[in-house]
Amino acid sequence: MLGKGGKRKFDEHEDGLEGKVVSPTDGPSKVSYTLQRQTIFNISLMKLYNHRPLTEPSLQKTVLINNMLRRIQEELKQEGSLRPMFVAASQPADPLSDNFREAQPAFSHLASPPLLPADFVSTMPLESCLTPASLLEDDTFCTSPAVQHDGPTKPPPPALQPVKDSFSSALDEIEELCPAPTSAEAVAAESAADDSKAQPSESNIHKPEGLPESRTAESKLMDPLPGNFEITASTGFLTDLTLDDILFADIDTSMYDFDPCTSATGAASKMAPVSADELLKTLAPYSSQPVTPNQPFKMDLTELDHIMEVLVGS
Amino acid sequence: FLGAGGGNDIQWCFSQVKGAVDDDVAEADIISTVEFNHSGELLATGDKGGRVVIFQQEQENKTQSHSRGEYNVYSTFQSHEPEFDYLKSLEIEEKINKIRWLPQKNAAQFLLSTNDKTIKLWKISERDKRPEGYNLKEEDGRYRDPTTVTTLRVPVFRPMDLMVEASPRRIFANAHTYHINSISINSDYETYLSADDLRINLWHLEITDRSFNIVDIKPANMEELTEVITAAEFHPNSCSTFVYSSSKGTIRLCDMRASALCDRHSKLFEEPEDPSNRSFFSEIISSISDVKFSHSGRYMMTRDYLSVKIWDLNMENRPVETYQVHEYLRSKLCSLYENDCIFDKFECCWNGSDRQVEFFIVMTGSYNNFFRMFDRNTKRDITLEASRENNKPRTVLKPRKVCASGKRKKDEISVDSLDFNKKILHTAWHPKENIIAVATTNNLYIFQDKMN
Repeated sequence: MLGKGGKRKFDEHEDGLEGKVVSPTDGPSKVSYTLQRQTIFNISLMKLYNHRPLTEPSLQKTVLINNMLRRIQEELKQEGSLRPMFVAASQPADPLSDNFREAQPAFSHLASPPLLPADFVSTMPLESCLTPASLLEDDTFCTSPAVQHDGPTKPPPPALQPVKDSFSSALDEIEELCPAPTSAEAVAAESAADDSKAQPSESNIHKPEGLPESRTAESKLMDPLPGNFEITASTGFLTDLTLDDILFADIDTSMYDFDPCTSATGAASKMAPVSADELLKTLAPYSSQPVTPNQPFKMDLTELDHIMEVLVGS
Repeated sequence: FLGAGGGNDIQWCFSQVKGAVDDDVAEADIISTVEFNHSGELLATGDKGGRVVIFQQEQENKTQSHSRGEYNVYSTFQSHEPEFDYLKSLEIEEKINKIRWLPQKNAAQFLLSTNDKTIKLWKISERDKRPEGYNLKEEDGRYRDPTTVTTLRVPVFRPMDLMVEASPRRIFANAHTYHINSISINSDYETYLSADDLRINLWHLEITDRSFNIVDIKPANMEELTEVITAAEFHPNSCSTFVYSSSKGTIRLCDMRASALCDRHSKLFEEPEDPSNRSFFSEIISSISDVKFSHSGRYMMTRDYLSVKIWDLNMENRPVETYQVHEYLRSKLCSLYENDCIFDKFECCWNGSDRQVEFFIVMTGSYNNFFRMFDRNTKRDITLEASRENNKPRTVLKPRKVCASGKRKKDEISVDSLDFNKKILHTAWHPKENIIAVATTNNLYIFQDKMN
């Protein structure tokens, strides 16, 4: 990390990361290329999903990060390193984008305009008339007249209900594809689903908030602030990248600092120490479900240890 | 005499610095735009708190022939307030993104200022006289009892202390769904354009309830969005021509006479990628953050993350000149991506001239409070620093040098020591004289050339 005038020691690893990109076909440098690509992929995901501004995020930034992710994704696809689940899940009906069509009817025309006022205009010869900007979209009408804003006030979340419903339907889809989630990420998913179904579960307490991979798309959906719609609406760009890939991607966070202050959880990111035993207890109810043969994740103690480490923040 | 090489290079000296001294920067004080007016007499800054501060140059003092007039505060006003969009449940920042002056037509000055959503036309006028001697009012404003009035007199104007008033004359609102990044006044001085991430609208300065959409790059399916508009400007002489730049490093020149909706460009300026410099970040660093026409309109300048490019409007396939601003950052792009610096939007500007000569010095900012100038004739460049230390009036600024790698010479700064929080994004050059305004995070520096 480049700091305020602090001298950085020569770091070979860092150098390999920052240096010119080498062709992925080079033998020994293929590893560093893959490493670099993975790091950039992770950073990009974090940027998109951990961003919790009070104001709208920059569309330019979002688009550029999104393009980065798409490019890496394309490369991965071509290299054939995708998991079977990924391929199965990349249907046109992306749960992410679907959620946002459901969750925000006001913005549905952003994704797929059923009847746009511009359609009317297009029937007239464009050359002959200027399009008044006010006719471009309903949302220029609907944008509420700007109001003087004295202090930071959080509006009541009117769309909370639709979000939860669509989120649980998204989770259902995930469960279909992988019926026995036993990883910690799935615990979070399950506990969130339970949350939305208003079933108190002790697994809620043990929600691994510290895990960056769990604080991705689903955390955005769970958030009561409807303001995140605009942010998460943009993540509908990731047509092929579904919740599956985010939840189960092998994100290695050990290579860069994960600053809890910038995390989406904000003040809520208290990493409560959870013992491995307690975790196992919460996983017990789920282990009774049948495990499909292509389930790559099996909860074993070494993985648990790893998760524990991340939770405790060591 | 402007630096035309041959030993007549400009020697820049510190002149003034405006703003708070302490290192603790208040968020609202962060300068977000700097612009001289057409005569150079006025210098406007906008900040993150939605305020506009205008400085006025003192009339030249005959006794102080060794320096040009100083800039002093002329007017300060709150241009934009924070707002709340209830539909999206998000705040609308009051930060002033751009200020553009109108040419002066009468005693008052007019400027356009914009935040992310709303453009305002401000009138700045002076009042140095006030009427005195009313019949029905006392001097303090209280009304007199009419029955006590026995004689009549004619009120007269008497001089008073100069008061500068700013009043909003037009508010151009509700025409942009996305964030406004540019405004540009047409050479007809009647219309102007405003550009956001996906659309460009054309306005008439007198009409606020209607604007016309002239560019729309929003895809029908937002999931297919891969490119946004980053800057736009009208041609300085041709009132039907404008350009807009994109996040993919392209510039499109459009002619409004071709069709009402300029979706098809007349010209597309794009430089093919250098395969030896290809990296994960190629696209991001190619994103253009600023575009500026030269005075004649024959050339335009673009700024991307690492370089400044000069384009000839008659040649679309590559720029005529490319200047590297801070090439030493190329090997640091991953860190700069991580800390978001790679998304910093640097502006650029041409030198001013009191003669109709082609512009040949360009200026842009960098990190560590450094700014760079490139002389197109001599092909020489210089790096200077805006800092309160080592800056005495009329002392020539010492050129700075960044050591990219290897052994660092004395007085050089190594790349790893650069302060990436000290960025110079906004610079402006006086339209006629060698005076420049350079904005650091919260301070405004004014430099002049050393007059002999």
